[in-house]
Amino acid sequence: MKQQTTEILVIGGGSTGTGVAWDAALRGFQVILVEKRDLTHGTTGRYHGLLHSGGRYVVKDPRSAEECIRENRILRHTHAHCIEDTGGFFVVTPEDEGDYPDRFQEACARVGIPCTEIPVAEALRHEPLLNPRASRVFAVPDATADSFLATHATAQAARLAGAQIQVYHEVVALLVEGGEGARRVTGARVRDLIRDEEVIIHADMVINAAGAWAGQVAQLAGIPVHVIPGKGTMVAMNHRMVNTVLNRCKMPADGDIIVPIHTVAVLGTTDEKVSDPEHLRIEPWEVQLMLEEGEKLVPGISQARVLRAWAGVRPLYQEGFQGESRDVTRALTLLDHQQRDGVAGFLTITGGKWTTFRLMAEVTVDKACEQLGTRRPCTTAETPVPGVQQGHYWLGHRLSEVEEHHLQGELICECELVTRAMLEQAAAHNPTFTLDDLRRDVRLGMGPCQGGFCTYRAAAILHERSVTGKDDAQARPGDADAWDVAYIQSPAHQQTLPPPARLEGFQPNLLLRDFLQERWKGLVPILWGQQLKQERLDALIYLHLMNVDHLPVDGEASPLTDFYHLDPAQIGAEPGQPQASLAEGQALNERAGKEKNQEGQP
Amino acid sequence: MRPDLLVIGAGLAGLSAALRATQAGLRVRIIAKGLGTLHWSTGNLDLLGYLPGAPHPVRKPMEAIYTLPESHPYARLGPERIGHCLSWWQKALGAAGLAYRPATPARSNWLLPSPAGAVRPTYLATEAQAGGDLSQAEPMLIVGFQGMRDFYPHLIAENLTRQGYAARAATLSLAVITRRQDSNTLHLAQELERPGRVQELAAALRPLVRPGERVGLPAILGLERHQAIWQGLATALDAPVFEIPTLPPSVPGIRLHRALTRHLEAQGVQIQVGLTAIGFQADRGRILAVETESSARPWRHQAEGFLLATGGILGGGFNSDPQGRFWEVVFNLPLTVPQDRNAWFRPHFLAPEGHPVFRGGLAVDGCFRPVDGHGTPLYQNLWAAGNLLAHVDAIQERSVEGLAVITGMAAAEALLA
Repeated sequence: MKQQTTEILVIGGGSTGTGVAWDAALRGFQVILVEKRDLTHGTTGRYHGLLHSGGRYVVKDPRSAEECIRENRILRHTHAHCIEDTGGFFVVTPEDEGDYPDRFQEACARVGIPCTEIPVAEALRHEPLLNPRASRVFAVPDATADSFLATHATAQAARLAGAQIQVYHEVVALLVEGGEGARRVTGARVRDLIRDEEVIIHADMVINAAGAWAGQVAQLAGIPVHVIPGKGTMVAMNHRMVNTVLNRCKMPADGDIIVPIHTVAVLGTTDEKVSDPEHLRIEPWEVQLMLEEGEKLVPGISQARVLRAWAGVRPLYQEGFQGESRDVTRALTLLDHQQRDGVAGFLTITGGKWTTFRLMAEVTVDKACEQLGTRRPCTTAETPVPGVQQGHYWLGHRLSEVEEHHLQGELICECELVTRAMLEQAAAHNPTFTLDDLRRDVRLGMGPCQGGFCTYRAAAILHERSVTGKDDAQARPGDADAWDVAYIQSPAHQQTLPPPARLEGFQPNLLLRDFLQERWKGLVPILWGQQLKQERLDALIYLHLMNVDHLPVDGEASPLTDFYHLDPAQIGAEPGQPQASLAEGQALNERAGKEKNQEGQP
Repeated sequence: MRPDLLVIGAGLAGLSAALRATQAGLRVRIIAKGLGTLHWSTGNLDLLGYLPGAPHPVRKPMEAIYTLPESHPYARLGPERIGHCLSWWQKALGAAGLAYRPATPARSNWLLPSPAGAVRPTYLATEAQAGGDLSQAEPMLIVGFQGMRDFYPHLIAENLTRQGYAARAATLSLAVITRRQDSNTLHLAQELERPGRVQELAAALRPLVRPGERVGLPAILGLERHQAIWQGLATALDAPVFEIPTLPPSVPGIRLHRALTRHLEAQGVQIQVGLTAIGFQADRGRILAVETESSARPWRHQAEGFLLATGGILGGGFNSDPQGRFWEVVFNLPLTVPQDRNAWFRPHFLAPEGHPVFRGGLAVDGCFRPVDGHGTPLYQNLWAAGNLLAHVDAIQERSVEGLAVITGMAAAEALLA
C-alpha cells in the first residue's frame, strides 16, 4: 500500500480546509490536504455568495458579527479578485417589526460595523426594483464572493507554499494508537477514488475540516461530535435584478436575503435541521417561500424565470444544543480533542461561515502549533493569494474580454461566456473527472439553458483533446493560431504548477450523461413556465437529435456516476418505479444514499 | 376576405394541415407567434423510434403502432391511414422541391448517425442524410472543422466504432469555408453557396478520403442550393457524401421550413408570423374569432373554422406556474396534465419511460376536436393537431415530425369531411 508522511493532514477541501492548508503551509509545516470529491464540492460551493458585513447577526449573535466584519476587511485585501464590492442594504419593509431597526443601528455601532442610514429615495435610485414602500434603508459593507474562485486561489497559495492538495481522496479510517485515556490520531487511510487504490498518510496532527461531514470523520476515531446539519435552500433567478445585497432589517429568518452573484440573483435561504448532509431534498414549499419572501424586498421578482434551486448544509455546532438550527450560533468552534476527549493529534474546526474561513484556519493552526510544541505566527491576514493584482471582480469582466479579443466564435457556453480556451485550460490544469468539476472551474452550464448546448460541446472537446493529444491550454493571445484566446479570469488559471497526470480511459458518454443528470436535479424543483419550455428544448437536443440515452456505455461507470445516483424518494418518483437498468445505458450503481439536489451556486 | 380555415401555428403540424386543406380547395390563412420548432430539429421525419421503456430502436414502426396504447393518436388512426398520410406528404414535399426517402426494406426505420455518434431511428430521411445509412457497410470518414462549435467528428466516429460501424474522424480548418470567427451552421451553409467554395472544400477534403469511404459532414451543405452543392461535392470528391445533423440552428430543418412555407404561399396561403394569439370570441358552441396582441386593441381574426397547432410546452401552446397549474394559452382548453407538480417528473432525466407531465395535453375526439371530460367536443368548428395532443410524448418516443405531419393532415381531412 502506498504510504505518505506529513506533519499536518487536513481533511476537507472547502474554504476552511484549504484555508487551514494555506495557513499551515505559510507557517512552514509540511501539509497534505485530502478532499473526497472536488474542491468546493460541499457547503462552500453551495452557498449564496455573500461576504458578510456582520449586519445579519449583529443583534442576534454579536460574536459572529464581530468575526464577520473583521474578516470582511481582511478578505477584501487577501482575496480581492474573488470579491465584488456590491455593498449591502438592510431594508425595513412594511412587515418588519418596530424597534428592530433602532436596535440594529445601535448594535452595528457597538460592534463596529459601518452602517449609514440613507434616504429611501436614494436607495431606490441605486436599486430601482427595491420595494418602494420601504420605510428605512441602512447601507453596510456587505459584498459578494465567488467561493469557487476563492477556494482555488487559496489552494493555489497553499500549493505555492508547499502544500499537497489531493482531490477525490476519501478518508476511510483514522489511524489511532494507544489505549484508553492516552489515545492519539497518527494519520488516516485514504481511498483514491480515481485510481481505486488506498493510501496511508502518516501525520503528526490531523485536522478535521470536513464541515457538515465533520461528525462522520470524528466518529472514525470514536469521538462523538454532533454537528447540526442546517439545510439551506436557495433559488437562482435568471437575471441579476439587483446590484446590491438586499437584507430584510429584522431578526434573521427564512428567505430574507437577495444576493447578486455573477449573472444571477440568488434568493435565500431556509434553515432546516436535516439528519444527513448527503441527503438533501428540496421541498416545493421551500421554493415557494423563497419566492414569496423575495417579493417583499423586490415586488414582482417571483414572476421572473427561476433557473435552478439547490441546497447546502451549514455545519452548525453548539455543544449540548437542542433547539432549532436557525438559533444555533454562527460563530466558529474549535474542538481540541485532547482536552475534550483525551485524544491527541486531532482537532476539529467547524461552525463559522464562509466569511470567517481565514479566521477559522488561524485559530486552528494556532492550536496545532501549541500541541506540536512550536510557536509560529499566522501571516495569512497580510498575505494576498495569487490573482489579487486584478483588483475586485466586476460583472463585465468576461464580456469585456470576449469583446476585446473577438472571442464570440469561441464561446462554448454562451450563457456564461465560457470560451474553448478557458475550458481547455481548466481541463489541463485541474483534475477533471466530471463536467461538474469544470462547472465549478469556469461556470459551465450555470446559465439559463442549464447545459443545453455546452454539455455536448464540452464533453466532445474533452474527448477530442484526449484522442488527438492536442493540448493548447497554454495558448495565449498573439499566438499564430487564429483560434487561440486570451486568458479569462477563472479558477482554472490559478494553477501555475505542473498539471496533474491525466487519466486513461476517458468516457465522454458518461461525462455527458452525468452532467445532464446533475443539471436535472436542480431543475426539477423549479420547472414551470419558461424554464420548463427551455427544458423541453434541452430534451429535444439530447433525446431527439443526439439520442444520448442510447449511446454505448457497455455498463461502464465513471468513478463518479454513483455520486449522482438518485433514489426513488426523489420528487416525482413513484414507489415501485423500476430504476433504469444498465441496458438502458444508465450506469447506476446499487449503493443508495447518495447526494440529491445539491450543487454549487446556480 | 374571411378564410375558410384559420390555422394557429406555423410549425410542421400547422403547415401540413394548411397544405392538405388548401389542396382540397379551402381558403387558408396561418397566423403564428414564431417559426415553429423545425429550425431545431433534424429535418428528417421521425415516425416512431422507441416504444416506452424499450432499449432498442423500433425496426418496423408500422407494425409497432399495433402495440401502442389505444389512446395514442397513432393507434386511433391506424397504420393504413398513417401510411396514406405519409405517402401524400412525401409527394407534396417532392412538389415543393424536397426529396424524402423511405428506408429499405419498405416500411422500416432508417438507422442514421446522430451528432453524438448514437444510432438514430428515423422514417423518412432527407436524401443527403440517407447516405449515412448504418445498414450499409462502406466505412465512414466523419469530417469536422476546427473552430466549429456545433459538430465533433471524433466523438461521432468513436461512438460509431464502439457500436460496430466502421468510422474514423478527420478535422479541417474552418478557414476552408469562412474567415468569419463567429459563424453558426446557417452562416456556414450560406458561405458554401458562394462561387468556388465547394471546389475549395473538395480540394481540402480529397487528400483525407480513402478509396471506398463515404464522407460524413455536418449538415451545412447549402441552404437554397443544397442539392447542387451536395451533389457537386460528391462529384468533385468521387465519393459518396452525406450530412449529419448539428446542434441548432438546424440547416436541414430550415430547408424544410422554407420549402413548405414557400410552397404554401405559392398556392395563395397567407402566413403571418409575429402574431401572438391571446384570446377568442365564441357564441353557441362556435368560435367566431381569435384575437392577437397588438399595440392598440386586440386584432380579431375571423374564419369559418379554426385549427389549433401551437405545439405543447416547447412550441409555447401551453404554459404553467409554480402552483402546478397548466393551461392551453389561446382557448384555455382543458388538459390532461396532472395538476400536481410532484407528479410531473421522474428522478432521472433520461428515464426510459419519460416524464408524466410530457404525456399530458389536449384530449380530442376521433375528428381531432378538443373535448371536455365527457368526450363531448367543446366547439363545433375548432380542431387541434400536433405536439399539443394528449397521450403521447413525441420527444421521448422519437415521433416529433411524424406526429405533427400525420395529425395535421388527419385533422385537415376531418374538418373537410
